[in-house]
Amino acid sequence: MSERSELPAEAWLAALASLPGMGPARLAELLAGLSPQEAWSAVRAGRPLEGVPEATIERWRSRVAVTDVERLWSAHEGAGVRVLVPGAPGWPAPLLDDPEPPAVLFARGDPAVLDRPRVAVIGTRRCSYAGREVARQLGRELAEAGVCVVSGLALGIDGAAHAGALAGGAAPVGVVATGLDVVYPRRHADLWRAVGDRGCVLTEYPLGVWPERWRFPARNRIIAGLADVVVVVESHARGGSMHTVESALDRGRTVMAVPGSVRSPASAGTNALLAAGSPPARDATDVLVALGLDGGVWQRAAPAGPEGDAGRVLDAVGWEASTLEQVADRLGAPLGPVAVHLVDLERDGWVHQRAGWYERRR
Amino acid sequence: MLATVPSAVLHGVEGRPVRVEVHVSNGLPGFTIVGLPDAACRESRDRVRAALLSSSLPWPLRKVTVNLAPSGVRKQGPGLDLAIAMGLLAANGDVPADAVEGCAFVGELGLDGAVRPVTGTLPLVDAIDAPTVVVAAASAGEAGLAGRHRVRAVGSLLDVVTAITGEAPWPDPPALPPELPPPPGPDLADVRGQRVARLALEVAAAGGHHLLLVGPPGAGKTMLAARLPGLLPDLDDAAALEVTRVHSAAGLPLSVGGLVRRPPYRAPHHGVSAVALVGGGSSVLRPGQISLAHHGVLFLDELGEFPPSVLDGLRQPLEEGAVRVSRALGSATFPTRFLLVAATNPCPCGRGGPPGACRCSDDARARYARRLTGPLVDRFDLRVDVAKPDPGELLGGQPGESTAEVAARVRGARDRAATRGVRCNAELPANLLDDLAPVSPGALRMLDLALRAGSLSGRGLHRVRRVARTLADLAGRDGPVGEEDVGLALQLRAEPDVLGVAA
Repeated sequence: MSERSELPAEAWLAALASLPGMGPARLAELLAGLSPQEAWSAVRAGRPLEGVPEATIERWRSRVAVTDVERLWSAHEGAGVRVLVPGAPGWPAPLLDDPEPPAVLFARGDPAVLDRPRVAVIGTRRCSYAGREVARQLGRELAEAGVCVVSGLALGIDGAAHAGALAGGAAPVGVVATGLDVVYPRRHADLWRAVGDRGCVLTEYPLGVWPERWRFPARNRIIAGLADVVVVVESHARGGSMHTVESALDRGRTVMAVPGSVRSPASAGTNALLAAGSPPARDATDVLVALGLDGGVWQRAAPAGPEGDAGRVLDAVGWEASTLEQVADRLGAPLGPVAVHLVDLERDGWVHQRAGWYERRR
Repeated sequence: MLATVPSAVLHGVEGRPVRVEVHVSNGLPGFTIVGLPDAACRESRDRVRAALLSSSLPWPLRKVTVNLAPSGVRKQGPGLDLAIAMGLLAANGDVPADAVEGCAFVGELGLDGAVRPVTGTLPLVDAIDAPTVVVAAASAGEAGLAGRHRVRAVGSLLDVVTAITGEAPWPDPPALPPELPPPPGPDLADVRGQRVARLALEVAAAGGHHLLLVGPPGAGKTMLAARLPGLLPDLDDAAALEVTRVHSAAGLPLSVGGLVRRPPYRAPHHGVSAVALVGGGSSVLRPGQISLAHHGVLFLDELGEFPPSVLDGLRQPLEEGAVRVSRALGSATFPTRFLLVAATNPCPCGRGGPPGACRCSDDARARYARRLTGPLVDRFDLRVDVAKPDPGELLGGQPGESTAEVAARVRGARDRAATRGVRCNAELPANLLDDLAPVSPGALRMLDLALRAGSLSGRGLHRVRRVARTLADLAGRDGPVGEEDVGLALQLRAEPDVLGVAA
């Protein structure tokens, strides 16, 4: 096994981070006063570490003995993965004084896109269609204003925010809870690649790490740490978005919430935030004002609805998901004509239908 | 001394004629049945002997051989008891041989000499060529349905002997109690609200379109499905006879007159085995639940809980209207032309429905939906969301239309469909849709847009057109199918992603 000293510090750091059971806290403690290469040697020597059980030290020692650091490093280089070291160039500035900073970050893409104002647009995976549309629109308009949109590349709100940001122009950042070679969720493989190509995908986990439940809250603290403002688009009363909100509040970040229907379970968490005093985010302007930027770009003009009966049907759909029967009942009308209007409204982009439920889009 | 008596045995839902040949000769006393009898058949010997002795008829202390011809076909069941007994009496000279000429016998014997009914009397009698058929009194009505025979209903072996020797007249056929109208099924008027679901039931009944109900527990899916058979018109003579044959062969209780006039309703639990659902069995080929639902409604509650292998067995019967069950011992064809109604929760937690309301993980939802995708769900023409009814409607709402009112419209729509040469619109062939169910230009534009938007598949297009035709028939509209009908049909359609999981 060759261990050439000309390998960069990042290589040793990546190797250390890849040890089983190695978290940010242990890694930081291990590195206290040592260079990564020295820390590697210390692990190989079986140096005890406070708070780490003997068995783990022993597992590290045996793993170190069979790890080819040079091969590991060339795997990172081959995958186009950059290893970011705290304080070194490329390390995100907002994480420098973070209370629980990651000890190392792996990046695909250019982390310099974080130098602009950053807004985290987050929310639940089990979102309504309307919530998805709001997230997409927020992402796009914020990106058009030059804001770096940060989110988690998850299904639902996160992915919609990323997709919107990509459409808006300014490069977004995705923070994920797996290794950069493990795309999760798989359905977002294209989005994941686009964000990496145009912006940056960050993680504190080395290559080959699979998603596990506990990694997602840990990932959420990084999103909170990176963002100047956190916007929650839709969240159930409990869930990952609420973890991010807690982390953001711990770090003194502004948390905004998109108001939703009081009858929509997907808006229960965001409405609770509003009740607790979070400023509302009705659109990108609200967020830009909170960032201290000029928010006068977008006018809040409600689009003129369709005329006549179609307009009445659209009004009856309202801003909550409704079925054909509910719409017809509200109008007191027979089903047939209402069905025709709904088909027309869907075609004209006023409503969206999935599995029998209609949601108003604009 | 030889006597030959005609009878029949059941094979699937068909009868097969059997000649019972009895030979009595000198030799060591004994009684042998040959010709592939099954256990119940072989036990005939003991029943026949006891019945003869109980009836004070002689039991020959000679060598008796009974052959069931054709001897290569397996015989099952006790229905040959009476024929064996009469053959024995004739062969032994206790009854004149010419008296049993042209007389067939179907019935099981009790040890006291009573003649008991057997399952499948209708198909058995139908398979017999002899001009006269003797059956148990309780089966007389059923045996008469075959229509070609002089049916003699008897209560005991002694009745037969005295009548056939001319000592006494044949017993009068049992006086049938007056046929009561069948007890009314559950009425549609009990369903409050649920306009769309009621409409879907009506369309399913009128057009023969398979229906999928999606909704949370307690929304009334089962209640709705149970009201569907009441909307279907009475079975016509041919259909009624088909259904009665199957029910008779399966041993289901028949009405007084014997004929099943109302469409059957079968709702097997999701623990049902593939054989019980489709039909089959190792020694006796029995019709499955789908055949018992022939010309009626098969309701599968909790569709997602049925094992996929069981559901897969439904595809071919749905397509062909019959299922051929083959086993090592033989094969049988069962009719399976039924209206499929299924119900499912929108997701494992059952709270799904409105977007964002469900608390299931994406994986759980996707797993649940996977069970319902694929070729079976592709057979549903209608899909309807059944929401929990509003408490106000439940307590104070106006009762909806009654079953009788809706059934009248359904009959009208079926009559219109009959003018197109099909029983119902679901059977309209795709290549004739343009001739038989043309659409108006405005409606065509709607379909075109739905196709272009990708919200309607090619297969779905045919379905929507058939359903729209049924809607127009129900409304009594002739001429091309209009926008309202197509608009509603689009709302009621079932696309493969029935649960809306694929984002």
